[in-house]
Amino acid sequence: MRRAFRFIGYTLVIILGISMIFPFLWMLCTSLMNELEVYHFPPKLLPTSFRWLNYGEAMTLQPFPRYFFNTMVVASVSIVGQLLFCSMAAYAFARIPFRGREKLFAVYLGTMMIPAIVTIIPAFLIITTFGWMNTYWALFTPSVSSVWGIFLLRQFFKTIPKDLEDAARIDGASDWTIYWRIILPLSKPALATLALFAFIGSWKDFLWPLIVTNHSDMRTVEVGIAAFSGLYQTDWPHQMAAAVLVMLPVVIVFFLAQRYFIRGITFSGLKG
Amino acid sequence: MIGSAGRRFILLLLSIPQILLAQNVVRLRLVDWADIEEMALDRTAIEAFRTSHPNIDVLYEPNPGQQYEEKILTGLAAGDPPDVFLLDSKLIPTFTNKHVLLDLEPFIRSQRIDTTQWFKSALDIARRGPHLYAFPKGFSPLVVFYNKKIFQQSGVVLPSASWTWDDYLTIGQRLTRDLDGDGVVDQYGAAFTNYYYNWIPWVWSGGGDILDSTGMSAVGFLNSAPTESSLRYLIDLRKKYRVAPDVGSWVQAEKTGINAELFAGGKIAMIVDGHWRMPKYLKYQMDGNLDLGVAPLPASPSGRRVNVMYESGWCVPVNGAHSAEAVMLASFMAGEQSCRIRAAGRLEIPANINVANEVARRDSTGMERLFVDEVPYCRQPWGSKIERFSEIEWTLQDAVDEVMLNDKPLHATMTRYASLVDNQLENIRAHESFEFKPIREHSDILYFLFGVAIVTIVGGGLMFVGARHNERMLLTKATGFLFPSIFHLTIFIFTPIAFAAYLSFHQWDLVVPNQPFVGLNNFREIFNDPAFWKALLNTCVYSMNVPVGMALALVVALILNRKMKGIGLLRTLYFLPGVTSMVAMALVWMWIYHPSFGMANLALRLTGLPPLDWLNSTQTAMTSIMIFTIWTGIGYQIVIFLAGLQGIPEEITDASRVDGASSLGRFWHITVPLLRPTTLFILVTSFISSFQVFTAIYIMTGGGPVHSTDVFVYHIYQAAWEQLRMGYASAMSWILFAIVMIATWVQFRIMGKEFSY
Repeated sequence: MRRAFRFIGYTLVIILGISMIFPFLWMLCTSLMNELEVYHFPPKLLPTSFRWLNYGEAMTLQPFPRYFFNTMVVASVSIVGQLLFCSMAAYAFARIPFRGREKLFAVYLGTMMIPAIVTIIPAFLIITTFGWMNTYWALFTPSVSSVWGIFLLRQFFKTIPKDLEDAARIDGASDWTIYWRIILPLSKPALATLALFAFIGSWKDFLWPLIVTNHSDMRTVEVGIAAFSGLYQTDWPHQMAAAVLVMLPVVIVFFLAQRYFIRGITFSGLKG
Repeated sequence: MIGSAGRRFILLLLSIPQILLAQNVVRLRLVDWADIEEMALDRTAIEAFRTSHPNIDVLYEPNPGQQYEEKILTGLAAGDPPDVFLLDSKLIPTFTNKHVLLDLEPFIRSQRIDTTQWFKSALDIARRGPHLYAFPKGFSPLVVFYNKKIFQQSGVVLPSASWTWDDYLTIGQRLTRDLDGDGVVDQYGAAFTNYYYNWIPWVWSGGGDILDSTGMSAVGFLNSAPTESSLRYLIDLRKKYRVAPDVGSWVQAEKTGINAELFAGGKIAMIVDGHWRMPKYLKYQMDGNLDLGVAPLPASPSGRRVNVMYESGWCVPVNGAHSAEAVMLASFMAGEQSCRIRAAGRLEIPANINVANEVARRDSTGMERLFVDEVPYCRQPWGSKIERFSEIEWTLQDAVDEVMLNDKPLHATMTRYASLVDNQLENIRAHESFEFKPIREHSDILYFLFGVAIVTIVGGGLMFVGARHNERMLLTKATGFLFPSIFHLTIFIFTPIAFAAYLSFHQWDLVVPNQPFVGLNNFREIFNDPAFWKALLNTCVYSMNVPVGMALALVVALILNRKMKGIGLLRTLYFLPGVTSMVAMALVWMWIYHPSFGMANLALRLTGLPPLDWLNSTQTAMTSIMIFTIWTGIGYQIVIFLAGLQGIPEEITDASRVDGASSLGRFWHITVPLLRPTTLFILVTSFISSFQVFTAIYIMTGGGPVHSTDVFVYHIYQAAWEQLRMGYASAMSWILFAIVMIATWVQFRIMGKEFSY
């Protein structure tokens, strides 16, 4: 009986998992087609011959190496910023029982509830007032800290037992020491999750980089991908080739890092 | 030999003229929506301009894709628009009413620009009284593209230039066939969607119109006999005579490109389209299923032929630093030399008469000639006369959908929608502003920044002053940890939100800096708008995807939270939708949902269930979107659940295992409570993001059919970016804020009891 349940469970999870790959396979196949095959009817799943040239062309039709570099810069700064600033704020919200804490946290959370569509204009006005149009500053400063990240880490910090902290306090450790030596090492899975989503966030951001940059040498990968679809027609093969190249690093990073999600806790001081 | 100092001196001498020249060089920014292929042509045209105007440097900034308007508008809002930009004729009324565009007439005289070089009807689209606001770049009427191959195979005579609606229907009926004899039609004569752009010339040809000649009212016009009989004729193509396939709404048809695909694949014989589709169709011909021909739109039973002219032109903003040079560039870009360069792209009829005739002469197929011959029949579209006309378009599309999809009676529906349109027109007129104020520096945002900063500091100070001694210590500590995030929030979040709060009591159209105070009018108007309540209800229904998705995600996460072979790969699979391009995912799902060709209906048919209309029915559209959301969002939820499960120390589960707890009991009494912070986090963030759902709706349905998927933030988006009513949009976001805040508070009350072990 239990075995049967488990078998059904696994089968469903595997089938659902395979369904997840469909759009990606469609992207991959489209990226290898020639322009005519894309509009074939009934739609073709497999290209007749693999046109690998699309990849090279996609990278040279637009300055994609530059886009990759820009996006890497933005993503790296955002990750470092979010790991540091979000964990600091989360520490205060989770571990320091200061007066007005819950109210202040409610204010933080509240900011997530105003849609970006409305705040993007004033944020843009601020950037132009600072004279940051077409600079890296404009691209990464809005994402070096995020309420989402603070919320995520606060939830995880709250689950860490108080005993360890108390023991350290008796030894005379300051809050900064506890934050740096106990809480952060114990939260590796959560920090890894935050880093991952911060990375994806900058990687996939579109409207903001489009609005704060004018020149192609300051643009990011997602803007480059969008540029393959014009008002009247979309260059699917090149667009999908670029999209595959853009998402590959993220998938690889995830594939390698997911092992780390597992081990994170085992290496920590909790065991034994 | 000259010494190095001497050489430097000579070099300096040589560079003096260059330095002097450089100081006289004017730098202009030019923005358009060219895609990759068109970009190359525009670059060549700009290069030609620079060669003939060495003292003007042009910075070319193409912005392809759908977000062009946003880009131009934010530039204007910040007081930093490009010097020359391309404007679609549907944006011209908004921009001229707000006086953002430079009147080109004085420059035409001073720079001796020959305006007779352009088709007069194209030029006049941007003319307002004695003023001219754009130089036309190119335009297109609508025509019937047809596939000669299908005509020949079925032995039908090709359409003549003098054909009528009856001919169109008869030909359509003769070409609609079940070729392989399996009882299912596999070749259609024509195509029809609810797309306003496509059907309006038919209504005009039929002697009707949607509005009176002044554009003030729809009652008595949209529901007049000639308008209704034209719409009846078109809808019957699909509903009664079935000569057009069910391809969904125009949103789905356009995004999947299904009409064009069916046409190129030889499954549709005739399709109404503009010149912009020419490059694509020409490419299709190489595939062998298509032999392209072009015919004018057929004449109505009364013999009348009216076409529509969709045009775009080059504009110059009123506040540019180098107006004269900018006008020079704009007129050059619209001029003969540039039109000749651009003609290679075959996207449009060049607005320049000489080039248009040249292209028509060179084209041996006669298709280009036919396009040019349509010019005398072309009428200026409503969108180029009435501000915010896209709103009216959506309403009219809904009206057609009500009849076509929901089987409502035609006359009653048109009468109802005519008064709806009248309300919208009245509303639009009430918000038109004719005041002129030159754009100034938008430094007011700094006042907001200072204001918010002061409030933050004072607030912190008050907290500190009001605290007892031991509390002060904690506060000091907390401040140290919180400082970076508060600093960041103040600049990038609090200030924009404060600005939005200010705007919600004002009226601001982005383009003109003045923001008149309107008190509570925005809120009053929102609460009186039935579409808003509908959107709110839709959003609530949509949010029901969160608990379902979370339950599913938790189950999958539990199974994935094991050490076994291949688990890493499986986890990565679930993570894929999170990084796959949203556009690709939406597109694949639009195909899956396709009523005639989709996998979803195929699966239903295999299991013996009746097929559904998915995205194309008011009953199922929202559910279809919800399924899509669960599918795309599950990866995010699983990753976080996994991280949460990893945080549960193994000794606790081990201990309970030793105590003999069953696996279900262990799950219920150990895992669920320990996962509570994680669950709360996922619940709150997923709920917030589901209340802010936008992209899926924007791509897949555009809020339709008939508002059935119109959600809160899509409503806000339309108000902000399509109707240019920032104040109204801000007011709506504050209502959204209040609702989400209350819901989150409830979630915290239920789920938030902290659990420690």
